[in-house]
Formats: sequence, structure tokens, C-alpha cells
Amino acid sequence: MGSLCSKQRHFDKPENEENGQAAEIERRIEQETKAEKHIQKLLLLGTGDSGKSTIFKQIKLLFQSGFGEAELKSYTSIVHANVYQTIKILHDGSKELAQNEAESSKYIISSANKDVGERLSEIGGRLNYPQLTKELAEEIGSLWNDPAIQETYSRGNELQVPDCAHYFMENLQRLSDANYLPTKEDVLYARVRTTGVVEIQFSPVGENKKSGEVYRLFDVGGQRNERRKWIHLFEGVTAVIFCAAISEYDQTLFEDEHKNRMMDTKELFEWVLKQPCFEKTSFMLFLNKFDLFEKKVANVPLNVCEWFKDYQPVSSGKQEVEHAYEFVKKKFEELYFQSTSPDRVDRVFKIYRTTALDQKLVKKTFKLVDETLRRRNLFEAGLL
Amino acid sequence: MGLDVGVGGQVLDLETAVKDGILGGGGGIGVGGGSAEKLDLKKMIEELEAVEVPSVFICPISLDPMRDPVTLCTGQTYERSNILKWFSMGHYTCPTTMQELWDDSVTPNATLQQLIHTWFATKYSAMKKRSQDVQGRAIEVLEILKKAKGQSRIEALKELRQLAAAHSTARKSLVDNGGVGSLSSLLGPFTTHAVGSEVIAILVSLDLDYSGKTNLTQPAKISLMVDMLNEGSIETRINCTRLIEMLMEGKDFVSENVSSLSLLVGLLKLVKNERHPNGVIAGLRLLKAICSHESLRASIVSIGAVSQLVELLPGFKADCIELALHILEVLSTVPEGRLALKECAKTIPNMVKLLMKVSESCTQLALAILWAVCKLAPEECGALAVEAGLAAKLLLVIQSCYNPVLKQRSAELLKLCSSNYTATNFISKCKLTTTIQ
Repeated sequence: MGSLCSKQRHFDKPENEENGQAAEIERRIEQETKAEKHIQKLLLLGTGDSGKSTIFKQIKLLFQSGFGEAELKSYTSIVHANVYQTIKILHDGSKELAQNEAESSKYIISSANKDVGERLSEIGGRLNYPQLTKELAEEIGSLWNDPAIQETYSRGNELQVPDCAHYFMENLQRLSDANYLPTKEDVLYARVRTTGVVEIQFSPVGENKKSGEVYRLFDVGGQRNERRKWIHLFEGVTAVIFCAAISEYDQTLFEDEHKNRMMDTKELFEWVLKQPCFEKTSFMLFLNKFDLFEKKVANVPLNVCEWFKDYQPVSSGKQEVEHAYEFVKKKFEELYFQSTSPDRVDRVFKIYRTTALDQKLVKKTFKLVDETLRRRNLFEAGLL
Repeated sequence: MGLDVGVGGQVLDLETAVKDGILGGGGGIGVGGGSAEKLDLKKMIEELEAVEVPSVFICPISLDPMRDPVTLCTGQTYERSNILKWFSMGHYTCPTTMQELWDDSVTPNATLQQLIHTWFATKYSAMKKRSQDVQGRAIEVLEILKKAKGQSRIEALKELRQLAAAHSTARKSLVDNGGVGSLSSLLGPFTTHAVGSEVIAILVSLDLDYSGKTNLTQPAKISLMVDMLNEGSIETRINCTRLIEMLMEGKDFVSENVSSLSLLVGLLKLVKNERHPNGVIAGLRLLKAICSHESLRASIVSIGAVSQLVELLPGFKADCIELALHILEVLSTVPEGRLALKECAKTIPNMVKLLMKVSESCTQLALAILWAVCKLAPEECGALAVEAGLAAKLLLVIQSCYNPVLKQRSAELLKLCSSNYTATNFISKCKLTTTIQ
């Protein structure tokens, strides 16, 4: 365009200048494209509440500068919101159970806490939550300790009680302190529905302090929205880290209370595996929330989930937990191979047992992921 | 000729001569000396088989070290029993110089005998000491391993691997000192590939007992082996394959332990990789072992093993063909396997080609597979088989095989395939030569 105009007037100098600039810009683009090629892109996928964002936060804590004070402070309102949301869900849940259950009496809140309950439920339904004061914290605490609420909590899987419920309820004193500054752990537990895409760039520091690999991690929201429209934008990522919360086999979706969460995860995993844009992508399956799984397996049999209906327990205690875990792992493995066409069998597929809240575990797990991806690179470069 | 005296014309004693390496046998370390006489020369020669023996100690007839050297009148020295045998065959010449002997006496060469004995004794005690050193070092490294982390752990494992590979004494020493347990404990869900591959390489070279194998047969450890089987270098892949095969030999082995689809897929990849024949054979052997568990057969079929194995057959060597046929035959005992065999276009032609081509057992297996397929769809498959030249082959089997079972089977199969043809039609399809017709 520019050269067209200048044709009529000056020929030499301006044209040279423009060419010079264009060349400079092209050189810059080339440089950056080259640099981009060396950045390994990782995409976190999974259904809602599977722990993707927790992994994201952990990576931030492990390999970046962590959370600064300002950022920590920004989580205060989120933590408080979680508290209000939780107690409301529990309170409303207890009323629902009291109405529908045969043994309704155990879900009826004691008269002392009844009004408090109603008030808190109202607060929890607002768009903006008030500051968590000591008084409010005390009221919430006493309601939490109400036997009816505890009974309701034990049926938490049927309601949408978030996994952070217990943790926050047990820390109300601290959370309501006037000078409360959220700890790293609080941040990890804090639950916010991810909207849009968030990304961080980091370099895992090896033992020799020279890793060289640069990763860019993307976290997208988990709910069932128009996934198919944007998923192809991630073609060319080095690896997909698919998070599946294995403790959710007896829970239903936030968006659809009749749909079992594990079945939803199964469908999503299948769908992702078949996407043409991931033909050559490595798949790292994180079977997450193992700590909750461990506790649940003893009380809730796996076969409440349709996918696991052929499960047979063989023993008890720790051995049984391991056995149950291996069963779930095998189901995912089967699903992987069923959904993978023969020409894609060459892509890397590994399963990791994770508890996203455990920083040490995440660090160890990521070390293995890093090793696998580096080996894969060497292999593809023909050096292995 | 004779014994060279040392530099400067000194007469050296025997031990010094050997010790200083005058005979070119290399500097002998350690004593040897008096106690050597008591050591059995035969035993030492056997144990030092790999060592290069000085040529003057070797009998020209047998090319073995001499235990009872005797010298002829020509001055040439031979092992007594060998030269006497030469004489007994009617020769009266010196084998190396071809001269006719003017004197048939054989003189024992005591000097040479003593020299030989001392040399071997020195070498032997050096070897024993080295062996002890190796054993000692192996135990040392094992201790280091208990505390080492990170890069030093990998270094220790590498050294242990070298020791175990080179010295059977090191291997025994490792097993006797709880090495198997220590190494096993390094394998877990968070073991890096670098560590895991070294550990597996060591374990696969050791003699594992029942408890060692049981210890290794935990799901998390097998999972790790499967991962390395899929990702590692060819050497690591083969090591993992061999180790899993070793673990399967245990009495109480449960089929569930090897039911992982990732394992089966990884093995198929190994088998298809024709650049590494060792991998192909190792993969086939493990697949065969896994096939023996009935509950796993359907899984093997589900990953497409049948068609892949059938298509690989023409490119295989004899030992691989037999293993592959064995696997396919076992898979044909389950309905999924039979179906897969039938649906693979190459099954029938490849099986027909293999009849009477490699060995009797291969023929038996190929026959069994053909039987399974043709039984499933007699008309369709029978026709295909005949088109592929089955009849001529079967007649060949019936005519030339001694095995009555084989002949019977062939006859039955022939009947099954020909049932849709009239006699003349069939014979024309057989493409038989006119003489047989």
C-alpha cells in the first residue's frame, strides 16, 4: 500500500526507509516465531471441579514467584464468598432433605440455629457478600456444628457441596480475623469458576538449576459450554493434561443434577481423545483428588457409578483402596485405547495419581511429566 | 628355544620370571608360589578360559594349554597324550616340523610344566582377588545406594549395573546381600525414567527368588515397567519385557498383573520393530506367556494383535514364526480371536504358505489356525483356502508327515474345504501336477 502511494512522489529515501522498517518487523516476527516454537504448550482440560485450577495455582507456586501479598489479599473476598456459599448450600440442603426424606427429623435444624440459618441463607444468595466479621463467623460456626447440618454434610455428594467445605468451616476463626491475609493453602482451596482462558509461562528448575525447557500452561473453564468451537485453537500443543477427579463417582453435575460427574468426565475424555487437533499430542491423565477417593471408597462402593458397575471388592483397608484405584485406572486406560485409532497409538499416554492440594506431590508429578516430554522431544529429534 | 634367561644374563627364579612378565603373560600380581602346586591345574585352566595364554604354553596339536608337556628329539614340545595319540595312528614324524623322527623317545619337559603351573596359579589368584574386590565393591555400592539421591543415585546404579553385567560374583553378591529388595524399593510411582531404567537393567540380570519376584509384582512397580517399556530405549524396552517374563514364572502369578492394555500395545510395537530383532523375539515371548492366561486373550485381540501378527509373518525368521503362530493359535481358541483371524485377509494365504515350510510344529499350528477359521465359515474360507493352494499342501502333509495326528487333521481340513466342490472341479482347483493327478 505504502509503495503504491510513494510511487507518484519520491522514489528513493522514503521507500528505503519503509523497506528497512518492514525488514526489521519481519526479522522480529521471525525471531519470535522461532522462540515460540521452543515454548512447550500445555493445556489443562477436564470437567468442572476436577482440579485444573488447583494444579495451575500449584505450578505458579512451584515455578514462578508464587503469590505476592497483593494477590493473596485479592483472594480474601473469594474465600469469604466460598464460606457463604457453602453454608447456604448446607442449610438449604438440610431443608430439602427434611422435606423429602423418611427420617426427616435428623435434618431439622435446632430451634436455636433456625433464624441464623435463614439469615445466612439469604446472605449467601446475594450478589455481593458482606465482610466476614467475627460475629458472622461465630454464627456460621454454630450452624456448621448443628447435628442436622452435619447429617446434611454427610450427604454432600447429592448436593453441590464444594470440596473445600470442611477446610474453610474448620478455619472460620482465622478467616474472620480483621487482618486476615489468606495463606497459600487457603488460596489453593479457594474455589472460583474459571471463565475464559488463563495462562502462565514458567521453566521448571532442575537439580542442576538449568532446565532450559520453557512451558506455557493454559487453563480453560470446565463447564459444558461450546467447547467444540474453540478447542481447535489449541492444535499443536505439546501435551494435554487432563484432570479427572476420581472421588466424584457418586456426585452429580452443577449444571445438571441428574448427570453423574464421572460419566461426564468419561464422555469428555473420549471426546477430547478423538479430536483431530490432538492427533499427535501427548496425553497426561491426572487422576486427581486421590485423598478424597481414599476416604470415600471405604464407605461408598464404586459400583454406584454406572461405568464402574462391574467392580468387585477383594479386601479391605489400604489394600482395597489400591485395588479400587487400579480398577479405575484400568477403566481409563481401556477408554483411551478404545478411543484411539491405530494410527494414533504412537502418541504418549501416561496416567498419574495426584492430589492437587499436595504441593510436594504435584512437584514430583510434574518432574515426571517434564522428563517424559523432554524424552519425547529427543525421540522426535531422532536422538534417542 | 628353551627358557630365555633374563636381561643381563642373570638366571632368574621361576616366580620372578613370571611376575615380571618376561614371558609376555602380563605382570602377575600376587604370590602364587608354593601353594600353587596344590591347586589343580586342570581346574585353573578351565576357570581361566577367557584369558590369553602365552603361545609357548600351547600344544600345537590341540591348541590347548599343556598339562604334561613332553619334548621330541626335534626339540618341539607337545602335550603327552596328544603326541602319543599321533604316534599310535602310525605317524613317526614331528607334527610341526614334518621331520621324520630319528628317536622315538619323549622327554618330559619339567621346566615348562612348572612354568605353566606357576603362570596359571598367579593368574588364578589375581582373578580370585579381583573377584573378591568386585564382590566387595558391589556391597559397597549397595550401601551407598541406600542414601544416595539425585545424580549420585544414578551414578551408583550405573556402576552397579556394570559390575553385575561383567561379574557373576557381583550378581551373586548382590542377591545374597538384599540387593533385590533395595533395588525394588527404588521403584515406585514417582521413579524417574533415568533411575528406573538402570534398576531394571540390573534386576533382569539377577537370579530372582520367589520373594524377590513377589515384591516386584506390585501394581505400581509393574505400571512403571510398562511405562518404561513404552518410552525407553530399545535396551530398556527389552529389559522390561524380559523382567516381566521372569516375574510371570512365579507360582502365584495373577493374570491381572499383566492385563494392562498399555503393556500389550507396547509389546506389539516391539514386535513390529524389525530394526531390533532382539526386541521382536522378547516381545513375542512375553505375548506368548500372557496368552496362556485365558482371561487376557480377548484383550490381546482387542488391540489388533491378530491382524498385525498375521501380516508380520512373512518377514519373520523361523523362531519368530513359531512364536507368532503359537500366539495366534491360542487366540483362535476364543471367539474374538477366531473372528479377527477370519476378518484378516492375509490369514489364509499366509497360513497356507507356512504349511510344510518351516517345521513340523509350525505346520501343526498353521493347520490348527486354518481349521479354526474354516470351521467358522466353511464355504467362504474353504474357498479362499483352496484358491490359495491349500489342497496341494494338505496332500503333501498327508503324504510325507509321520505324525498321525497331523495327517488326520489335514484329511479333515481337506474334506471341510472340498465339501462344496464336485470332485473334478476340486481337482482342477488344486493346481496339482499331472503326475499326482
